[in-house]
Amino acid sequence: MSASVTSSLMRLAQQRYRAFVETVDHLDDAKFHFSAKDNLCAVGFQARAGSAILEGYVPPFDATPIRRLKDAGGQLIGKTTMDEFGFGTFSVNSAHGVPLNPFDITRSCGGSSGGAGAAACLIPGHVALGVSTGGSISGPACFCGVVGLSPTYGRVSRYGLIDYGNSLDKVGLLARSASLVREHFRTIAGPDPKDPTSCAQPTLPDKGRRPDSLAIPTEALTNLDPAVRKGFQEAVGRLKDMGVQVKEISMPSLRFAMPAYYILATSEASTNLARYCGMRFGRREEELNQHFNDFFTGVRSVSFGDEAKRRILLGTYCRMVGFRSRYYLKSLAVRQMLIEKYRKIFQEHQAVLTPTMPFIAPRFEEISRMKPLEMYGADFLTIPPNLTGMPHISLPCAYVDGLPIGMQLVSDHWHEMDLLEMASVWEGAFEYHHPEVRL
Amino acid sequence: MDREIIARVARVARLELTEEELERYAKDLDDILDNFSVLDEAPMTDSYTFNPIPVVDVLREDEPGQDLDPQVLRGQMSTYEDYVRGPRLS
Repeated sequence: MSASVTSSLMRLAQQRYRAFVETVDHLDDAKFHFSAKDNLCAVGFQARAGSAILEGYVPPFDATPIRRLKDAGGQLIGKTTMDEFGFGTFSVNSAHGVPLNPFDITRSCGGSSGGAGAAACLIPGHVALGVSTGGSISGPACFCGVVGLSPTYGRVSRYGLIDYGNSLDKVGLLARSASLVREHFRTIAGPDPKDPTSCAQPTLPDKGRRPDSLAIPTEALTNLDPAVRKGFQEAVGRLKDMGVQVKEISMPSLRFAMPAYYILATSEASTNLARYCGMRFGRREEELNQHFNDFFTGVRSVSFGDEAKRRILLGTYCRMVGFRSRYYLKSLAVRQMLIEKYRKIFQEHQAVLTPTMPFIAPRFEEISRMKPLEMYGADFLTIPPNLTGMPHISLPCAYVDGLPIGMQLVSDHWHEMDLLEMASVWEGAFEYHHPEVRL
Repeated sequence: MDREIIARVARVARLELTEEELERYAKDLDDILDNFSVLDEAPMTDSYTFNPIPVVDVLREDEPGQDLDPQVLRGQMSTYEDYVRGPRLS
Protein backbone atom coordinates (compact mmCIF):
# COMPACT_ATOMS: atom_id res chain seq x y z
CA MET A 1 0.00 0.00 0.00
CA SER A 2 1.43 3.39 -0.98
CA ALA A 3 2.43 6.01 1.60
CA SER A 4 -0.24 8.44 0.37
CA VAL A 5 -3.01 5.84 0.70
CA THR A 6 -1.83 4.95 4.22
CA SER A 7 -1.68 8.62 5.16
CA SER A 8 -5.19 9.20 3.84
CA LEU A 9 -6.45 6.14 5.77
CA MET A 10 -4.79 7.52 8.90
CA ARG A 11 -6.60 10.85 8.50
CA LEU A 12 -9.89 8.99 8.05
CA ALA A 13 -9.23 6.84 11.12
CA GLN A 14 -8.37 9.89 13.24
CA GLN A 15 -11.49 11.72 12.05
CA ARG A 16 -13.69 8.75 12.96
CA TYR A 17 -12.00 8.25 16.32
CA ARG A 18 -12.41 11.93 17.16
CA ALA A 19 -16.14 11.61 16.41
CA PHE A 20 -16.33 8.66 18.82
CA VAL A 21 -14.48 10.53 21.57
CA GLU A 22 -16.54 13.69 21.18
CA THR A 23 -19.76 11.69 21.32
CA VAL A 24 -18.74 9.75 24.42
CA ASP A 25 -17.41 12.90 26.16
CA HIS A 26 -20.87 14.48 25.99
CA LEU A 27 -22.72 11.54 27.48
CA ASP A 28 -24.46 11.28 30.80
CA ASP A 29 -21.92 9.52 33.04
CA ALA A 30 -24.67 7.88 35.04
CA LYS A 31 -25.74 5.90 31.99
CA PHE A 32 -23.89 3.31 29.93
CA HIS A 33 -23.43 3.72 26.18
CA PHE A 34 -24.01 1.28 23.39
CA SER A 35 -24.12 1.12 19.60
CA ALA A 36 -26.22 -0.99 17.26
CA LYS A 37 -25.38 -2.68 14.01
CA ASP A 38 -27.08 -0.86 11.15
CA ASN A 39 -29.55 -3.70 10.48
CA LEU A 40 -31.27 -3.07 13.84
CA CYS A 41 -34.06 -0.51 13.81
CA ALA A 42 -33.89 2.46 16.19
CA VAL A 43 -35.99 5.60 16.42
CA GLY A 44 -34.11 8.65 15.19
CA PHE A 45 -31.47 6.76 13.21
CA GLN A 46 -31.43 5.56 9.63
CA ALA A 47 -31.49 1.76 9.33
CA ARG A 48 -29.71 1.04 6.06
CA ALA A 49 -28.18 -2.39 6.73
CA GLY A 50 -25.18 -1.32 4.67
CA SER A 51 -27.32 -1.06 1.53
CA ALA A 52 -28.01 1.79 -0.87
CA ILE A 53 -31.53 0.45 -1.34
CA LEU A 54 -32.38 1.46 2.26
CA GLU A 55 -30.93 4.96 1.93
CA GLY A 56 -33.08 7.35 3.95
CA TYR A 57 -35.14 4.73 5.77
CA VAL A 58 -35.80 5.91 9.34
CA PRO A 59 -37.87 3.33 11.23
CA PRO A 60 -40.54 4.58 13.63
CA PHE A 61 -39.75 1.99 16.31
CA ASP A 62 -36.92 0.41 18.28
CA ALA A 63 -35.81 -3.19 17.82
CA THR A 64 -36.50 -5.14 21.03
CA PRO A 65 -32.79 -5.47 22.06
CA ILE A 66 -32.36 -1.72 21.60
CA ARG A 67 -35.55 -0.96 23.52
CA ARG A 68 -34.41 -3.20 26.39
CA LEU A 69 -30.96 -1.59 26.61
CA LYS A 70 -32.52 1.88 26.61
CA ASP A 71 -34.98 0.83 29.33
CA ALA A 72 -32.01 -0.41 31.37
CA GLY A 73 -30.43 3.05 31.22
CA GLY A 74 -28.40 2.76 28.03
CA GLN A 75 -27.67 5.56 25.59
CA LEU A 76 -27.61 4.60 21.92
CA ILE A 77 -24.70 6.61 20.54
CA GLY A 78 -24.80 5.42 16.94
CA LYS A 79 -25.26 2.76 14.32
CA THR A 80 -22.28 0.71 13.15
CA THR A 81 -21.38 -0.05 9.56
CA MET A 82 -21.65 -3.53 8.12
CA ASP A 83 -21.56 -5.60 4.94
CA GLU A 84 -24.74 -5.07 2.91
CA PHE A 85 -27.49 -7.06 4.69
CA GLY A 86 -24.72 -9.04 6.43
CA PHE A 87 -23.31 -10.44 3.16
CA GLY A 88 -19.61 -10.58 3.88
CA THR A 89 -16.69 -11.62 6.04
CA PHE A 90 -14.64 -8.41 5.94
CA SER A 91 -17.14 -5.48 6.03
CA VAL A 92 -15.97 -4.31 2.61
CA ASN A 93 -19.36 -4.89 0.94
CA SER A 94 -20.99 -1.75 2.32
CA ALA A 95 -22.53 1.26 0.61
CA HIS A 96 -21.69 3.37 3.66
CA GLY A 97 -17.99 3.08 4.37
CA VAL A 98 -15.54 0.40 5.38
CA PRO A 99 -14.44 0.17 9.04
CA LEU A 100 -10.68 0.17 9.65
CA ASN A 101 -9.10 -2.27 12.08
CA PRO A 102 -8.01 -0.38 15.23
CA PHE A 103 -4.88 -2.57 15.50
CA ASP A 104 -3.79 -1.79 11.92
CA ILE A 105 -5.84 0.49 9.72
CA THR A 106 -4.67 -1.22 6.53
CA ARG A 107 -6.54 -4.36 7.65
CA SER A 108 -10.14 -5.47 7.93
CA CYS A 109 -12.22 -5.46 11.10
CA GLY A 110 -13.91 -8.66 9.94
CA GLY A 111 -17.55 -8.87 9.05
CA SER A 112 -20.25 -8.46 8.81
CA SER A 113 -20.47 -6.65 12.18
CA GLY A 114 -17.15 -4.90 11.46
CA GLY A 115 -18.22 -1.50 12.75
CA ALA A 116 -19.41 -3.13 15.98
CA GLY A 117 -16.00 -4.82 16.39
CA ALA A 118 -14.19 -1.50 15.97
CA ALA A 119 -16.51 0.34 18.39
CA ALA A 120 -16.17 -2.37 21.05
CA CYS A 121 -12.39 -2.30 20.67
CA LEU A 122 -11.92 1.48 20.66
CA ILE A 123 -14.29 2.70 23.38
CA PRO A 124 -13.66 1.55 26.96
CA GLY A 125 -16.86 0.45 28.68
CA HIS A 126 -18.76 0.34 25.40
CA VAL A 127 -21.05 -2.48 24.39
CA ALA A 128 -21.89 -3.05 20.73
CA LEU A 129 -24.96 -4.90 19.50
CA GLY A 130 -23.98 -7.17 16.63
CA VAL A 131 -25.85 -9.71 14.57
CA SER A 132 -24.54 -13.09 13.48
CA THR A 133 -25.89 -15.25 10.69
CA GLY A 134 -22.78 -17.27 9.80
CA GLY A 135 -20.04 -15.75 11.96
CA SER A 136 -20.65 -12.02 11.87
CA ILE A 137 -19.99 -11.54 15.59
CA SER A 138 -17.16 -14.03 16.10
CA GLY A 139 -15.20 -12.83 13.05
CA PRO A 140 -15.06 -9.13 13.99
CA ALA A 141 -14.48 -10.02 17.66
CA CYS A 142 -11.48 -12.09 16.57
CA PHE A 143 -9.93 -9.49 14.25
CA CYS A 144 -10.61 -6.58 16.63
CA GLY A 145 -9.40 -8.40 19.77
CA VAL A 146 -12.64 -8.25 21.78
CA VAL A 147 -15.14 -10.65 23.31
CA GLY A 148 -18.04 -11.55 21.00
CA LEU A 149 -21.06 -13.57 22.16
CA SER A 150 -23.48 -15.07 19.63
CA PRO A 151 -26.37 -16.48 21.69
CA THR A 152 -28.50 -19.51 20.95
CA TYR A 153 -30.85 -18.92 18.03
CA GLY A 154 -34.04 -17.61 19.65
CA ARG A 155 -32.48 -16.38 22.92
CA VAL A 156 -32.66 -12.71 21.90
CA SER A 157 -35.68 -11.30 20.08
CA ARG A 158 -35.21 -10.48 16.40
CA TYR A 159 -38.09 -8.00 16.39
CA GLY A 160 -36.79 -4.92 14.56
CA LEU A 161 -33.93 -6.76 12.89
CA ILE A 162 -33.65 -6.43 9.12
CA ASP A 163 -33.54 -10.11 8.21
CA TYR A 164 -30.79 -11.85 6.31
CA GLY A 165 -31.67 -15.50 7.05
CA ASN A 166 -34.64 -15.99 9.38
CA SER A 167 -33.58 -19.39 10.65
CA LEU A 168 -30.00 -18.25 11.27
CA ASP A 169 -29.97 -14.62 12.49
CA LYS A 170 -28.97 -14.00 16.12
CA VAL A 171 -28.52 -10.69 17.94
CA GLY A 172 -25.49 -10.68 20.25
CA LEU A 173 -22.89 -8.48 21.88
CA LEU A 174 -19.28 -7.38 21.49
CA ALA A 175 -17.26 -5.65 24.23
CA ARG A 176 -13.78 -5.50 25.72
CA SER A 177 -14.58 -7.94 28.52
CA ALA A 178 -16.77 -10.90 29.37
CA SER A 179 -18.17 -9.05 32.39
CA LEU A 180 -19.54 -6.26 30.14
CA VAL A 181 -21.08 -8.81 27.80
CA ARG A 182 -22.57 -10.76 30.70
CA GLU A 183 -24.13 -7.66 32.25
CA HIS A 184 -25.91 -6.57 29.09
CA PHE A 185 -26.69 -10.02 27.73
CA ARG A 186 -29.03 -10.56 30.65
CA THR A 187 -30.85 -7.37 29.62
CA ILE A 188 -31.43 -8.24 25.97
CA ALA A 189 -32.20 -11.97 26.43
CA GLY A 190 -35.65 -13.36 27.16
CA PRO A 191 -38.97 -14.05 25.47
CA ASP A 192 -40.66 -11.43 23.35
CA PRO A 193 -44.16 -12.12 21.96
CA LYS A 194 -43.23 -10.07 18.91
CA ASP A 195 -40.74 -12.79 17.91
CA PRO A 196 -42.24 -16.27 18.41
CA THR A 197 -38.83 -17.93 17.98
CA SER A 198 -37.80 -16.31 21.26
CA CYS A 199 -40.72 -17.77 23.20
CA ALA A 200 -39.57 -21.38 23.53
CA GLN A 201 -36.44 -20.57 25.54
CA PRO A 202 -35.69 -21.79 29.05
CA THR A 203 -34.96 -19.19 31.73
CA LEU A 204 -31.43 -17.81 31.69
CA PRO A 205 -29.65 -19.15 34.79
CA ASP A 206 -28.05 -16.74 37.27
CA LYS A 207 -24.66 -18.28 36.82
CA GLY A 208 -23.05 -20.71 34.40
CA ARG A 209 -20.89 -23.70 35.01
CA ARG A 210 -17.30 -23.43 33.87
CA PRO A 211 -16.66 -26.12 31.24
CA ASP A 212 -13.97 -28.49 32.52
CA SER A 213 -13.75 -30.63 29.41
CA LEU A 214 -13.35 -29.27 25.87
CA ALA A 215 -13.32 -31.07 22.52
CA ILE A 216 -11.31 -29.88 19.53
CA PRO A 217 -12.40 -31.32 16.15
CA THR A 218 -9.22 -32.20 14.24
CA GLU A 219 -10.99 -31.08 11.04
CA ALA A 220 -10.97 -27.53 12.44
CA LEU A 221 -7.19 -27.54 12.62
CA THR A 222 -6.64 -27.87 8.89
CA ASN A 223 -6.04 -24.94 6.53
CA LEU A 224 -4.90 -22.64 9.33
CA ASP A 225 -2.32 -19.91 8.97
CA PRO A 226 0.77 -21.26 10.83
CA ALA A 227 0.75 -18.23 13.16
CA VAL A 228 -2.87 -18.91 14.10
CA ARG A 229 -2.12 -22.59 14.68
CA LYS A 230 0.82 -21.72 16.94
CA GLY A 231 -1.11 -19.09 18.90
CA PHE A 232 -4.07 -21.42 19.31
CA GLN A 233 -1.89 -24.31 20.50
CA GLU A 234 -0.32 -22.01 23.10
CA ALA A 235 -3.79 -21.07 24.30
CA VAL A 236 -4.73 -24.76 24.54
CA GLY A 237 -1.61 -25.29 26.65
CA ARG A 238 -2.66 -22.47 28.93
CA LEU A 239 -6.16 -23.94 29.28
CA LYS A 240 -4.63 -27.28 30.28
CA ASP A 241 -2.49 -25.49 32.87
CA MET A 242 -5.74 -24.06 34.25
CA GLY A 243 -6.98 -27.61 34.83
CA VAL A 244 -9.27 -27.83 31.79
CA GLN A 245 -9.25 -31.16 29.97
CA VAL A 246 -8.83 -30.77 26.23
CA LYS A 247 -9.24 -33.67 23.85
CA GLU A 248 -9.02 -33.86 20.06
CA ILE A 249 -11.96 -35.59 18.42
CA SER A 250 -13.08 -36.25 14.87
CA MET A 251 -16.13 -34.53 13.36
CA PRO A 252 -15.98 -35.34 9.63
CA SER A 253 -19.49 -34.06 8.96
CA LEU A 254 -18.18 -30.50 9.46
CA ARG A 255 -17.30 -30.53 5.75
CA PHE A 256 -21.00 -30.30 4.93
CA ALA A 257 -21.56 -27.22 7.07
CA MET A 258 -20.28 -24.54 4.69
CA PRO A 259 -22.37 -25.51 1.63
CA ALA A 260 -25.46 -26.22 3.75
CA TYR A 261 -25.13 -22.84 5.44
CA TYR A 262 -24.71 -20.84 2.23
CA ILE A 263 -27.63 -22.61 0.58
CA LEU A 264 -29.99 -21.98 3.50
CA ALA A 265 -28.75 -18.44 4.10
CA THR A 266 -28.98 -17.34 0.46
CA SER A 267 -32.33 -19.10 -0.05
CA GLU A 268 -33.78 -17.23 2.90
CA ALA A 269 -32.07 -13.97 1.91
CA SER A 270 -33.37 -14.11 -1.65
CA THR A 271 -36.95 -14.19 -0.37
CA ASN A 272 -36.36 -11.63 2.40
CA LEU A 273 -34.87 -9.13 -0.03
CA ALA A 274 -37.90 -9.36 -2.31
CA ARG A 275 -39.53 -6.66 -0.18
CA TYR A 276 -36.99 -4.06 -1.33
CA CYS A 277 -38.59 -2.90 -4.53
CA GLY A 278 -38.61 0.90 -4.43
CA MET A 279 -42.01 1.27 -2.79
CA ARG A 280 -42.03 0.58 0.91
CA PHE A 281 -38.62 1.26 2.47
CA GLY A 282 -35.68 3.51 1.74
CA ARG A 283 -34.91 4.32 -1.86
CA ARG A 284 -38.11 5.18 -3.71
CA GLU A 285 -38.62 4.92 -7.43
CA GLU A 286 -40.67 7.99 -8.43
CA GLU A 287 -41.59 7.05 -11.99
CA LEU A 288 -44.83 5.16 -11.42
CA ASN A 289 -45.94 5.08 -15.04
CA GLN A 290 -44.19 1.82 -15.82
CA HIS A 291 -44.99 -1.87 -15.50
CA PHE A 292 -44.38 -3.19 -12.00
CA ASN A 293 -41.78 -5.68 -13.27
CA ASP A 294 -39.71 -2.87 -14.77
CA PHE A 295 -40.30 -0.68 -11.71
CA PHE A 296 -39.07 -3.33 -9.25
CA THR A 297 -36.26 -4.56 -11.48
CA GLY A 298 -34.90 -1.09 -12.13
CA VAL A 299 -34.51 0.03 -8.53
CA ARG A 300 -33.14 -3.34 -7.38
CA SER A 301 -30.59 -3.55 -10.19
CA VAL A 302 -29.05 -0.15 -9.51
CA SER A 303 -29.24 -0.31 -5.69
CA PHE A 304 -28.04 -3.77 -4.68
CA GLY A 305 -24.28 -4.26 -4.47
CA ASP A 306 -22.25 -6.96 -6.16
CA GLU A 307 -22.30 -9.52 -3.34
CA ALA A 308 -26.01 -8.95 -2.67
CA LYS A 309 -26.79 -9.72 -6.31
CA ARG A 310 -24.58 -12.83 -6.20
CA ARG A 311 -26.35 -14.17 -3.11
CA ILE A 312 -29.82 -13.35 -4.43
CA LEU A 313 -28.99 -15.27 -7.62
CA LEU A 314 -27.55 -18.23 -5.71
CA GLY A 315 -30.52 -18.41 -3.33
CA THR A 316 -33.08 -18.03 -6.10
CA TYR A 317 -31.38 -20.77 -8.11
CA CYS A 318 -31.29 -23.17 -5.15
CA ARG A 319 -35.03 -22.72 -4.57
CA MET A 320 -36.07 -23.26 -8.18
CA VAL A 321 -38.18 -26.23 -9.19
CA GLY A 322 -35.94 -29.20 -9.80
CA PHE A 323 -33.15 -28.03 -7.47
CA ARG A 324 -35.04 -27.57 -4.20
CA SER A 325 -34.59 -31.15 -3.02
CA ARG A 326 -30.94 -31.35 -4.02
CA TYR A 327 -29.96 -28.10 -2.33
CA TYR A 328 -32.47 -26.62 0.12
CA LEU A 329 -34.00 -29.76 1.65
CA LYS A 330 -30.62 -31.49 1.75
CA SER A 331 -29.20 -28.53 3.65
CA LEU A 332 -32.00 -28.72 6.22
CA ALA A 333 -31.15 -32.41 6.70
CA VAL A 334 -27.46 -31.56 7.13
CA ARG A 335 -28.30 -28.97 9.77
CA GLN A 336 -30.28 -31.57 11.71
CA MET A 337 -27.46 -34.08 11.40
CA LEU A 338 -24.90 -31.56 12.69
CA ILE A 339 -27.10 -30.69 15.67
CA GLU A 340 -27.15 -34.39 16.55
CA LYS A 341 -23.35 -34.66 16.12
CA TYR A 342 -22.82 -31.69 18.44
CA ARG A 343 -25.25 -33.20 20.97
CA LYS A 344 -23.25 -36.43 20.96
CA ILE A 345 -20.05 -34.50 21.68
CA PHE A 346 -21.79 -32.58 24.47
CA GLN A 347 -22.54 -35.88 26.23
CA GLU A 348 -18.82 -36.11 27.06
CA HIS A 349 -17.58 -32.51 26.81
CA GLN A 350 -19.12 -29.21 27.84
CA ALA A 351 -17.91 -27.23 24.86
CA VAL A 352 -16.21 -27.46 21.47
CA LEU A 353 -13.08 -25.37 21.03
CA THR A 354 -11.57 -24.13 17.74
CA PRO A 355 -9.70 -21.08 16.51
CA THR A 356 -12.21 -18.40 15.46
CA MET A 357 -10.74 -17.39 12.11
CA PRO A 358 -8.14 -19.32 10.11
CA PHE A 359 -5.90 -16.27 9.63
CA ILE A 360 -5.15 -12.90 11.21
CA ALA A 361 -7.03 -9.84 9.94
CA PRO A 362 -6.16 -9.58 6.24
CA ARG A 363 -5.08 -6.39 4.49
CA PHE A 364 -7.64 -4.72 2.22
CA GLU A 365 -5.39 -5.31 -0.80
CA GLU A 366 -5.38 -9.06 0.00
CA ILE A 367 -9.17 -9.08 0.29
CA SER A 368 -9.54 -7.37 -3.09
CA ARG A 369 -7.77 -10.34 -4.71
CA MET A 370 -9.99 -12.99 -3.10
CA LYS A 371 -12.57 -14.88 -5.15
CA PRO A 372 -16.12 -15.27 -3.72
CA LEU A 373 -15.56 -18.92 -2.83
CA GLU A 374 -12.36 -18.07 -0.93
CA MET A 375 -14.28 -15.49 1.09
CA TYR A 376 -17.04 -17.99 1.87
CA GLY A 377 -14.39 -20.51 2.95
CA ALA A 378 -12.93 -18.04 5.44
CA ASP A 379 -16.03 -18.67 7.60
CA PHE A 380 -15.51 -22.43 7.87
CA LEU A 381 -14.89 -22.29 11.64
CA THR A 382 -17.73 -19.94 12.54
CA ILE A 383 -20.40 -21.49 10.30
CA PRO A 384 -21.05 -24.80 12.16
CA PRO A 385 -22.36 -23.24 15.41
CA ASN A 386 -24.29 -20.61 13.45
CA LEU A 387 -25.92 -23.17 11.17
CA THR A 388 -27.00 -25.27 14.15
CA GLY A 389 -28.08 -22.32 16.33
CA MET A 390 -25.55 -23.22 19.05
CA PRO A 391 -24.31 -20.38 21.27
CA HIS A 392 -20.66 -19.49 20.84
CA ILE A 393 -18.16 -16.97 22.10
CA SER A 394 -14.93 -15.65 20.59
CA LEU A 395 -12.14 -14.61 22.95
CA PRO A 396 -8.72 -13.13 22.21
CA CYS A 397 -6.23 -15.93 22.88
CA ALA A 398 -2.89 -14.80 21.42
CA TYR A 399 -1.18 -11.97 19.53
CA VAL A 400 1.04 -12.18 16.44
CA ASP A 401 3.04 -9.08 15.62
CA GLY A 402 0.61 -7.14 17.78
CA LEU A 403 -2.48 -8.47 15.98
CA PRO A 404 -5.08 -10.54 17.84
CA ILE A 405 -5.96 -14.19 17.28
CA GLY A 406 -9.24 -15.56 18.58
CA MET A 407 -10.48 -18.84 19.95
CA GLN A 408 -14.12 -19.88 19.77
CA LEU A 409 -16.05 -21.94 22.29
CA VAL A 410 -19.36 -23.57 21.33
CA SER A 411 -21.82 -25.04 23.82
CA ASP A 412 -25.19 -26.73 23.62
CA HIS A 413 -28.35 -24.71 23.02
CA TRP A 414 -29.19 -22.30 25.87
CA HIS A 415 -25.81 -22.68 27.66
CA GLU A 416 -24.53 -19.14 27.07
CA MET A 417 -23.80 -18.60 30.75
CA ASP A 418 -21.34 -21.51 30.73
CA LEU A 419 -19.45 -19.81 27.92
CA LEU A 420 -19.40 -16.52 29.81
CA GLU A 421 -18.16 -18.31 32.92
CA MET A 422 -15.32 -19.82 30.91
CA ALA A 423 -14.56 -16.41 29.40
CA SER A 424 -14.28 -14.83 32.86
CA VAL A 425 -11.89 -17.53 34.03
CA TRP A 426 -9.84 -17.14 30.84
CA GLU A 427 -9.54 -13.40 31.39
CA GLY A 428 -8.01 -14.09 34.78
CA ALA A 429 -5.20 -16.01 33.10
CA PHE A 430 -4.70 -14.09 29.86
CA GLU A 431 -4.37 -10.35 29.49
CA TYR A 432 -6.10 -8.70 26.53
CA HIS A 433 -4.34 -5.94 24.59
CA HIS A 434 -6.05 -2.85 23.24
CA PRO A 435 -4.54 -0.66 20.56
CA GLU A 436 -3.21 2.76 21.37
CA VAL A 437 -4.99 5.31 19.23
CA ARG A 438 -3.78 8.91 19.02
CA LEU A 439 -5.84 11.89 17.97
CA MET B 1 -23.81 -22.87 -15.80
CA ASP B 2 -24.76 -21.11 -19.01
CA ARG B 3 -25.78 -17.51 -19.38
CA GLU B 4 -29.37 -18.39 -20.30
CA ILE B 5 -29.92 -20.03 -16.91
CA ILE B 6 -28.43 -17.08 -15.04
CA ALA B 7 -30.54 -14.69 -17.10
CA ARG B 8 -33.67 -16.71 -16.20
CA VAL B 9 -32.74 -16.72 -12.49
CA ALA B 10 -32.13 -12.96 -12.64
CA ARG B 11 -35.57 -12.38 -14.18
CA VAL B 12 -37.20 -14.37 -11.39
CA ALA B 13 -35.23 -12.33 -8.84
CA ARG B 14 -36.16 -9.04 -10.56
CA LEU B 15 -32.56 -8.16 -11.40
CA GLU B 16 -31.37 -6.79 -14.70
CA LEU B 17 -27.79 -7.82 -15.32
CA THR B 18 -25.26 -6.35 -17.74
CA GLU B 19 -23.43 -8.62 -20.15
CA GLU B 20 -20.37 -8.44 -17.91
CA GLU B 21 -22.43 -9.39 -14.84
CA LEU B 22 -24.09 -12.30 -16.64
CA GLU B 23 -20.68 -13.64 -17.58
CA ARG B 24 -19.17 -13.13 -14.13
CA TYR B 25 -22.05 -14.45 -12.02
CA ALA B 26 -22.40 -17.51 -14.27
CA LYS B 27 -18.74 -18.32 -13.58
CA ASP B 28 -19.04 -17.57 -9.85
CA LEU B 29 -22.14 -19.72 -9.38
CA ASP B 30 -20.53 -22.50 -11.36
CA ASP B 31 -17.50 -22.47 -9.02
CA ILE B 32 -19.66 -22.22 -5.91
CA LEU B 33 -22.12 -24.98 -6.84
CA ASP B 34 -19.30 -27.23 -7.99
CA ASN B 35 -17.74 -26.83 -4.54
CA PHE B 36 -21.11 -27.41 -2.87
CA SER B 37 -21.59 -30.73 -4.68
CA VAL B 38 -19.97 -32.34 -1.62
CA LEU B 39 -23.52 -32.20 -0.23
CA ASP B 40 -24.42 -35.09 -2.53
CA GLU B 41 -22.35 -37.27 -0.18
CA ALA B 42 -24.32 -36.23 2.93
CA PRO B 43 -27.05 -38.63 4.08
CA MET B 44 -30.64 -37.51 3.45
CA THR B 45 -33.26 -37.74 6.17
CA ASP B 46 -36.89 -36.75 6.54
CA SER B 47 -36.45 -35.67 10.16
CA TYR B 48 -35.55 -32.01 9.77
CA THR B 49 -37.21 -28.79 10.79
CA PHE B 50 -37.08 -25.28 9.40
CA ASN B 51 -35.52 -23.84 12.57
CA PRO B 52 -32.60 -25.12 14.66
CA ILE B 53 -34.69 -25.04 17.85
CA PRO B 54 -38.32 -25.98 18.57
CA VAL B 55 -40.64 -23.04 17.95
CA VAL B 56 -43.95 -22.56 19.75
CA ASP B 57 -47.05 -20.81 18.49
CA VAL B 58 -47.63 -17.50 20.24
CA LEU B 59 -51.18 -16.28 20.54
CA ARG B 60 -52.47 -13.10 22.11
CA GLU B 61 -55.89 -12.13 23.38
CA ASP B 62 -58.23 -11.37 20.51
CA GLU B 63 -58.42 -7.68 21.27
CA PRO B 64 -57.76 -4.83 18.87
CA GLY B 65 -54.33 -3.33 19.26
CA GLN B 66 -52.05 -1.03 17.33
CA ASP B 67 -48.28 -0.94 17.84
CA LEU B 68 -47.52 1.49 15.06
CA ASP B 69 -49.60 4.22 13.51
CA PRO B 70 -50.23 3.24 9.86
CA GLN B 71 -49.95 6.91 8.97
CA VAL B 72 -46.33 6.87 10.12
CA LEU B 73 -45.62 3.78 8.02
CA ARG B 74 -47.25 5.40 4.99
CA GLY B 75 -44.90 8.33 5.46
CA GLN B 76 -42.14 6.22 3.88
CA MET B 77 -44.24 5.55 0.78
CA SER B 78 -45.65 7.47 -2.14
CA THR B 79 -49.31 8.20 -1.39
CA TYR B 80 -52.36 9.85 -2.90
CA GLU B 81 -55.02 10.88 -0.40
CA ASP B 82 -55.15 7.81 1.84
CA TYR B 83 -53.88 5.32 -0.74
CA VAL B 84 -50.42 3.94 -1.43
CA ARG B 85 -49.30 4.64 -4.99
CA GLY B 86 -47.55 1.97 -7.01
CA PRO B 87 -46.55 1.12 -10.58
CA ARG B 88 -48.89 -0.16 -13.28
CA LEU B 89 -50.04 -3.77 -13.09
CA SER B 90 -50.37 -4.11 -16.85
